[in-house]
Amino acid sequence: MTAAGSHRTVLVTGASGGVGRGIALACAADGWEVWIAARRETEGAAVAAEVTAAGGRGRFVACDVGDEESVRATLDEVATMSGRLDGLVHNATSGRSSQSGSITDVTVADLEDHVRVATRGFYLLARCAFGMLCASRGSLVVMTSEAGFEGKRLLAPYAMVKAQQRALVAVLAREWGPAGVRVNAVAPLAGSPAMDRAFVSDPTMQERVMGRIPLGRLGDATADVGVAVRFLLGADARFITGQTLMVDGGSCPSP
Amino acid sequence: MPGDLERGVSFLGTGVRDADQLARSLASRRRLTSPTAPPDPEWSWAWADDLAAWRNEIEALPSTDHVVVCTWVEAFPSIHLVELEPMRWLQQVEWPTSLWFTTLVAAVGRCRDGGSVVAVLDRPATLDAIGRGPAVVVAEGVINLVRSLAAREGGRGVRVNAVMSSRHSNVDELLGSPPPLATFPGRIDVEVAGAVRLLLSDDSVGITGSAVSATSGRR
Repeated sequence: MTAAGSHRTVLVTGASGGVGRGIALACAADGWEVWIAARRETEGAAVAAEVTAAGGRGRFVACDVGDEESVRATLDEVATMSGRLDGLVHNATSGRSSQSGSITDVTVADLEDHVRVATRGFYLLARCAFGMLCASRGSLVVMTSEAGFEGKRLLAPYAMVKAQQRALVAVLAREWGPAGVRVNAVAPLAGSPAMDRAFVSDPTMQERVMGRIPLGRLGDATADVGVAVRFLLGADARFITGQTLMVDGGSCPSP
Repeated sequence: MPGDLERGVSFLGTGVRDADQLARSLASRRRLTSPTAPPDPEWSWAWADDLAAWRNEIEALPSTDHVVVCTWVEAFPSIHLVELEPMRWLQQVEWPTSLWFTTLVAAVGRCRDGGSVVAVLDRPATLDAIGRGPAVVVAEGVINLVRSLAAREGGRGVRVNAVMSSRHSNVDELLGSPPPLATFPGRIDVEVAGAVRLLLSDDSVGITGSAVSATSGRR
């Protein structure tokens, strides 16, 4: 257990699988209470059970991060049931994130879906959670991507909203700093169902991705990425805000 | 203006004052004026049809060597993000994001092989970001879109770059050290237009996917 192992209540969006599940399980290993916020109830409840089995306290709440009422209801439930919120991780991403294709084929509806989940979701969560995070002098973490630094020829709308998330981190860190609330981002490169789908969608992608990772492998959602997020949520990172932590095996050359 | 720009600049932008001044400073030969504000801000993007019409208008343009895109919206009062009402968020973040995306992608499609496209952005410095979140968020998304487009278009020799200015945001309270140049926040017709001309010209033939700060050194 780390120095940050004292009881904390955190909420992770999009945690019904993949990297979000890894973050939840890493927090569970330190005994934290973890709210799994996701649209898929069966899968989300299963991850909540895994959290409890791993030593934490898992809870599930249905949440559509792009819907204002849903986000407000989610944070209200956390306030009612847990009475506090020490950390929030916005990990949910559009279901179209792994769909590669020509930018000229991107429709307004495609772009709206990316913005709705990644950017609007971040704004709504921040707006609704700010009061509780102030009370706990807590921490907000958003899961961005190396695509948010570099742009992506075949994933342009995804890259655009990931850059917008980093911009939100830069702004919120300055606006929330005086209240003692920290805001950071993590750019992971981990194996996940979404990554698997992306490799299927673009058969050349796997070779391109693996070829530029100095450590020669994809990260593990829990042991590599989850613990890094837990660090940013915890007291050991109390003087870190406005940053993007690359957890990508050295893949991105110029953050 | 450098000789290689003599065939003229196509300017795609809104009609707000600063964008208009930039178009005139560049002596743009062809100009299309985009919609400025969404007709009816709603959570579902009711403006999709307006954007489709705008895209069609751009795609009807003849091909050109030099394209400048500047879809600035009106400058809004400073406000912390948590205090920004959802409908304001739509107007200040989601609408501009969709307008930039539509315009820039279509604009690149009208650029001839070997040509140059420049997006001119309102990007307050990070030091001055408090209360100006919407402008920062929109600009950073577009800068990364520029990188994506540069990667895509490089194969046919088209360069895609951005110029950043904080002139449009009317930053009036500076934290920390003053900007290196006393000209901050710069002038549309001098600092901003000058950086655009550089990126359009053959003097920048090796530059693509870059964002040049015409901010008098303010970061």
